[in-house]
Order: sequence, then C-alpha cells, then structure tokens
Amino acid sequence: MGNAFFVVWRESLEAFLIAGILYAWLQGNDPGGKGKRALFIGLAAGVGLALLLGLALLTVQDELSGNALEAFQIGTLLVAAGLITQMVLWMRKNGRQMKARLHADLSAAAEKSGFAGVAVVAALAVAREGAETVIFLYGMSQEGDYGALIGGALAGFAGAAATAWLAAKSLARLNIGLLLRLSSILLLVLASALFVAAIDRLIGAGWLTPMLDPVWDTSLLIDDSTKAGKLLADFSGYRARPALTTLLAWAGYWIVVFIAWRRSGHG
Amino acid sequence: MKHALHSAVFGLFLASTAAIADDLPTYKLLMKDGRIIPETLEVPANTRFRLEVRNEGPGAAEFESLELKKELVLAPGVTRNLVFYPMTPGTYKFFDDFHPETGQGRIVAK
Repeated sequence: MGNAFFVVWRESLEAFLIAGILYAWLQGNDPGGKGKRALFIGLAAGVGLALLLGLALLTVQDELSGNALEAFQIGTLLVAAGLITQMVLWMRKNGRQMKARLHADLSAAAEKSGFAGVAVVAALAVAREGAETVIFLYGMSQEGDYGALIGGALAGFAGAAATAWLAAKSLARLNIGLLLRLSSILLLVLASALFVAAIDRLIGAGWLTPMLDPVWDTSLLIDDSTKAGKLLADFSGYRARPALTTLLAWAGYWIVVFIAWRRSGHG
Repeated sequence: MKHALHSAVFGLFLASTAAIADDLPTYKLLMKDGRIIPETLEVPANTRFRLEVRNEGPGAAEFESLELKKELVLAPGVTRNLVFYPMTPGTYKFFDDFHPETGQGRIVAK
C-alpha cells in the first residue's frame, strides 16, 4: 500500500507538475482560455496514449521491437523537451508583442500553433509516465491485491494532483511578471531534465558515445540512486556520475536557451 | 506487418548492433517479488554483453540505473534483453524502481 502510493505518486507527479505549471503559465498568457482547453484535450489524449504504450510494453519481448520501443520513448522525451523550450521562448517573445499592442491582432495561426504545442506537451507527459503506471497497476492487479491497488493508486494520484495544484496555486499567487518568469524557468528546467534523460538513454542504448564516463562522481554529496536523489534527477537533470556527452548536451541546452532568452527579451 | 515496419525503420539504425548481437556473452537476471537475483552480478570489464532480465512477478518491475543509463519496465512474466557497452572496471548500482526498498543490486565489472 505504502509502496503503491509512492510509486504512483512519483510516476504521475511529472505529468501533473507539467500540467500544473502550464496551467499557471497560461493563466498569465492566455486570457481567452483557448490554451487551457488545449491543455485538457492534451491530457485526455495522453491517457489514451498511455494505455496504448502500456499495452506495447506488455507485449513486446523480442530485442528488435524492444529497441523500437526504446527509440520511440527517447523520441517522446526529445520532442517534449524541444516543444516545451520552443513554447516558453515563443511566448516570451509574442507575449511582449501582445501586451505592446494591447492584445490586438496577434495572428490566429500563431496562437493556434502555440496552443497545439501545449496539447502535445501535455499528452506526451501523461503518455510517458502514464504507461509505466499502467504496467505497475497491471502488475498489482495480477497479484490480486485489489485493496492495496485501489487505495494506494488513488492516494498516489490524489497526492500528485495535490502537489501540482499546490505548485500551480503558489505560482498563481505571484504578480504576473514574476509568475511568468518563474513558471517559464521551471518549465525550462523540466525540459532540460527531459533532454538529459533522452541523451542518457541514447548512450545506454549504444546509439551515442559517452566519450568519458563518468566525468566526476558527486554521489557522496547527493546520491541519485536514493529516493530523494532520484526525484531531483528526474526533475532537474542532476546526475551524480554524468557522462561527458550528457554534460556537454546539458551545457549546450542552457547556452542555446540563454541566448534565445536574451534575444527574445530585446526583440 | 507491424514487425516488418519496425524492422525496416530501425534495421538501418541497428544494423551494427544486431549483426553481432548473437555472439554476445549473456548473463541472466531474475526479478521476483521485489527481489533481484542475484544481487551482485560479475561481468568482464571492457566487454560488450547482454543481460537477459526476466520478471517472474507477481508484480511489475522496473530495472533502473542512472549510472548504467538504463530504464526498463517489465510486466510480470516478461523477459527483455539489455545490451551493455564496454564498462570501465567498477561497481555500478541498479535497482527495481517499483520496489526500491528491497530491490537493490549491483553489477561489478572486473
């Protein structure tokens, strides 16, 4: 029961957090409510995708399909990281224009593409973590432990939702400028963590060379194989023993984002 | 059909991996009821090898290691292969992410 709670809480937290922060962030960006609708459509689509992906994870056994599945999962990580980053930067640039023209004539097409991004990001977040939750719950149902299954799972979902709601609420309490800046930064940090995870899995699958692995070892300081350390790794991209490739990718990500951020601020 | 499509798309990608995959030394790992058997696995360093991970259940398991850069969810009854690339000598921790309290293991590359 306790374990079911923790696993479900952690697996669904990322999806709920992305949804929560996006929601708060839209609060500051999207007075029309179209973005929020896109967010909810994306979340619903994500649940469907999670079930499909879970089914694939259940049935795939051979190496070739296993590799295909791995490639697909890495793909979703990369797309999610890219889209979140692009969306945050796009909104930073266009949000200024919107305010400058007193939310006048920002073209409908640009708005639509921005919000389609919101839907896809939400769907991918739910699909990826949701698929693992599906497998976990399926396993528990095989154990025949329905009491623990339902109790633990529901408590886990509720806990994750409450955590995300709390984060979104505390963000929404801030004044609009601070809300936008803080939610943007949180989203970028999450995106960098997804990007690092993708690079690591590419290395793990043998599709990318690690170059030097590990570059250093800070596991005495913060051990990323403990529960708390793993959470930090999942949400910030922290690695106790990073490979050089991962490190360069992480640094590259922040350099590109920093330059684009400065540029969009002046534009 | 689906399989054929996968093969076509990823065949090229994996050509080098797949071609020599069959003469890899293979080690077996069993995940059972939140336990990992054996908890310590000795492998040769600087050699590619394959790990055949089987989850006997009853619950689901997730083979995970940030150090080894692997993450694999296994439904009960599922067997999957992981290919490991040449490792420098050392100890690498992994764990069952669905049973972190009991499912801790390590790979020792010598």
